[in-house]
Amino acid sequence: MTALSAVFARTRRGAAERDGGRKARWTPGRFALLAVALLLALVWLLPLAWALATSFKPESETTKTPLEWIGSTVTFDAYERVWSVGDIPVWMFNSFVTASATTLLTVTTCAMAAYGFTRTDFRGRKVLYGVVLAGIMVPPQVLIAPLFVEMVQLGLVDTYWGVILPQVAVPAMVFILVKFFEGVPRELEEAAYVDGAGRWRVFWTIVIPLSRPVLSAVAIFTFITTWNNFLWPFLVTTDPDGMTLPVGLVNVLSSYGVRYAQVMASLVIAGLPLLVIFMLFQRQIVRGIAHTGLAGQ
Amino acid sequence: MTAVSPTAAPAPRADLPAGGAAGAAARPAGVRRKWTEHGLVFVTPFLLIYALFLLWPLVYGAGMSLTSQNITGTGAEFTGLDNYAEAVRDPAMWSSLWNTVWFTVLSTVPLVIIGLVLALLAHQLRVVQWLWRISWFAPFMLPSSVVCLLFAQMIFPSGFGFADQLLAEFGLEPGIGWLTDARYAMLSVVLTTVWWTVGFNFLLYLAALQSIPQHLYEAAELDGASAWKRLWHITLPMLRRTTGLVLVLQVLASLKIFDQVYLMTGGGPDDSTRPVLQYVYQQGFTGYRIGYASAVSYIFFALILLVSLVQPWLARRKEDSK
Amino acid sequence: MNPPLPSRRRALAGGLGALAAAGTLGPFAAGCSAPAASASGAARLRFWHLFSGGDGVNLAKMLDAFGADHPDIDLEAVTLQWGAPYYTKLGMAGVGGRAPELAALHLARLPGFGPGTLLDPFDLDLLAEHGVTEKDFPPDIWRRGRVGGKQYAIPLDTHPMVLYFQTEICEKAGLLKDGKLAPIRGAEEFTEVLRRVKQATGRPALVTETLGAESVGGWRLFSTFYSQTGGKVLSADGKRLVIDDAKALRVLEWMASMTAEGLWVRRVDALGAVGVFNLGKTGFLLGGEWEVTTFKTNKVPFSMTRIPDLFGRPTAQADCHSFVLPHQDDRGGAPNEAAHTLVAWMLKHSVDWAAGGHVPAYLPVLDDPAYLKLDPQSEYRSVLEDVELDAPAWFNGSASRMWIELGDVFSGVLTGSRTPRSALAEARERIRGFLDTPNPLPGAAS
Repeated sequence: MTALSAVFARTRRGAAERDGGRKARWTPGRFALLAVALLLALVWLLPLAWALATSFKPESETTKTPLEWIGSTVTFDAYERVWSVGDIPVWMFNSFVTASATTLLTVTTCAMAAYGFTRTDFRGRKVLYGVVLAGIMVPPQVLIAPLFVEMVQLGLVDTYWGVILPQVAVPAMVFILVKFFEGVPRELEEAAYVDGAGRWRVFWTIVIPLSRPVLSAVAIFTFITTWNNFLWPFLVTTDPDGMTLPVGLVNVLSSYGVRYAQVMASLVIAGLPLLVIFMLFQRQIVRGIAHTGLAGQ
Repeated sequence: MTAVSPTAAPAPRADLPAGGAAGAAARPAGVRRKWTEHGLVFVTPFLLIYALFLLWPLVYGAGMSLTSQNITGTGAEFTGLDNYAEAVRDPAMWSSLWNTVWFTVLSTVPLVIIGLVLALLAHQLRVVQWLWRISWFAPFMLPSSVVCLLFAQMIFPSGFGFADQLLAEFGLEPGIGWLTDARYAMLSVVLTTVWWTVGFNFLLYLAALQSIPQHLYEAAELDGASAWKRLWHITLPMLRRTTGLVLVLQVLASLKIFDQVYLMTGGGPDDSTRPVLQYVYQQGFTGYRIGYASAVSYIFFALILLVSLVQPWLARRKEDSK
Repeated sequence: MNPPLPSRRRALAGGLGALAAAGTLGPFAAGCSAPAASASGAARLRFWHLFSGGDGVNLAKMLDAFGADHPDIDLEAVTLQWGAPYYTKLGMAGVGGRAPELAALHLARLPGFGPGTLLDPFDLDLLAEHGVTEKDFPPDIWRRGRVGGKQYAIPLDTHPMVLYFQTEICEKAGLLKDGKLAPIRGAEEFTEVLRRVKQATGRPALVTETLGAESVGGWRLFSTFYSQTGGKVLSADGKRLVIDDAKALRVLEWMASMTAEGLWVRRVDALGAVGVFNLGKTGFLLGGEWEVTTFKTNKVPFSMTRIPDLFGRPTAQADCHSFVLPHQDDRGGAPNEAAHTLVAWMLKHSVDWAAGGHVPAYLPVLDDPAYLKLDPQSEYRSVLEDVELDAPAWFNGSASRMWIELGDVFSGVLTGSRTPRSALAEARERIRGFLDTPNPLPGAAS
């Protein structure tokens, strides 16, 4: 635990220090490194490029050998077909609703809890915090069987709540926020108390704005992991109308048989939202993952 | 919403601003708070969800594992440790546990090493950072099902698959059963996983590299240390703690393998890739034996606890002995 | 080549509905309209099935016709991934209580599928109102849908393994008589036929599924030929292992010799096998009859026939598609009636269903001239008397754990990774494991 927070603090410092360093010289060695890096980048990009290339081919040419990047014509057929079936927009919407709600609930409840654990005192506080920390050791995957039965009993199978709620209780996020709050000086809050502010006001107007960076890191990480999560939504949704994008793709699309261009087109559509968000917010996302990733897995 | 109300109902005595440092008690003495200001109010929403969807299933599952309950929640008869006894004698349980461990070993090594190498490259080059981030980290942003359908349907099929075609381009024999031959299936799953998630370790390493104090390198350079020397004597030692953490996280993440196998090989051929989580799924959800599935889950949980407790301890001992 | 995807009514309306539902975060999407009736006041009828081959295309056409006939029913058909994924989802939907109104189920799966817990019984009076009664079905098949005095499954068809052949290749090898395959009797004769085809083409003569994820091909082949020897795997009540080692070994050794000699394609999965035959690379395909539309659409010069009698009896492995009512906490009313309406309608339009390859279970159709005219679909209808359904055990039936596990084992015999002897020992071991495990959903079934 302590090692975790140490690295966490270090990455934060690192962000400030970065790019302040030396100017690089273009030695032959560095050119060689560049060549290696470019080759590796190519290797990583090829599968994505192949999916993209296939999605623009006519269906009859998708399994042609030898290898050809561009078919006889470039066609958007596959995209039109998979989009017009109408499943993908619904699944995308479901993903959006569940990922947003999960993120919102996680950020609020975890921030409140972290505030409660660092800035208030009450009987049993330490014990409760200990119970929360112990939860970090419990991977949610171990709980799928009892959790599903619980959902059946609560009548939450095939509902948005059934997808959302079990993904909200992430003790690691509380831990991250507690570590952050502990490092925040209390002077401002104390001044506000002296001015007669209550805890809620201090929480909303001082603590939350001060912790914007770490909260957005938690939010980014939560959104990405819930958007991409497979196992739990896969178990708790059986009605295709309620599936999230990753689950719907697997259960329904693959049943349409071998139409490779269409499958690839649907994958491109499914992968695109987060890729676009990533391109737009690279720095924030990279920093967010580096911050929370260590504890959040 | 002025919360300070001296005349409010008697608030619990312990309700003081916390913090081990006593100096933090900055509130004018004697001020009482409304019950809505109580610390418990702040922690309750989280604790409620936490208790309902983590603690309760944890306890409930333990109870279920002692019964013959089926997935509908009926048929529950207390059977004591029967499920565990059956699991211990169940070769399929052991083989799936072994597959999980084997996947963890096979995937963790390249994921950590390649993650480190990529981070060193990107850090050393300091140009076109966006390119490295997009090519190595972007796959991590894709849902597992996108990655797995891509690899299962377009990369690994025999003959027309991209992997076979690539082999053919280099004049090698195509027709490898990447996902259908027991000799290659697990390796193909590992390959896909490395491609997909190495970006995460890459990022953690990159962040760690960027936080190594610059002056260490400057001093070494003044002493005339070569680039290799600096790598061996400054960079890698400075990364030791990060490596320890990346290792722990990676092992824990790899142990939870399910998506890739379920989506690419279905556990086959002949169960040679089926991990323990899939076995839980098959027993509990496909076969309705949720009690037995819970028992297998708890055996798996014990393994995870063991790893997450032993690994840091090992790391610390190693560090101390240095 | 590129049939339209089964279209589902929804698109924007569904999206907006989901938006409304999101307000309350209740049951989602189209569920915003109460399950009983959709916005237009029509009864909502969700039908899940696993038909994704040629039969799926055929079904989509039939359902469109049904929709046109019944404006008062808002039909929403969903194709799910065939096999264990489908059955797992269907079972879990029944557990969750928000299952679809109607679903397809392989009849041999019924004992293990929780009739009474995961499935609701049919209302036979309601079916009779639509003109469908017990006497319209072969008694054996009808009875298998009955558990504890209630009818949980209404059979739609029987779908046996069949033998497809390329007419041009077989002509060249001199195997045809009046455009039909000359009768083949016995394993030696069949092997000889394959050798002649191999000589004519220079390639393996036959293709069949030998491997794949959750592959059941190995089991289907074994089950077919083993049943021809007169052997049984399980006792009639499905409670004891009665496999006959000598007979089983004879079949397994023959299967192994087929790929070993290069007469069968050694390594190919289910889709691959269809692709190989589709391209005319082999003279024969051993597989399910439901691929017939695929080959017809692609104008493959082919025909099909019953699997020849190689080991003493002319039987073939088969299962039946049937309709079931997945458990709903609030089953009843207009949607339930709509489900019964669709079942009756499908049965009465069985000729169209038969075009997809399956042999109708609804007897009035079997003598229908329109059915007899279907070529080659009516060629193998006599097999109905010789189909070998799995013994009624909870772990048995299409895509069951038993099929998948034994499929894996026997797949090894075909690909050469297991010897017949070790495969048989392993199969015995695994079946014993199933027998030792009590049915987790005892309910009304045994």
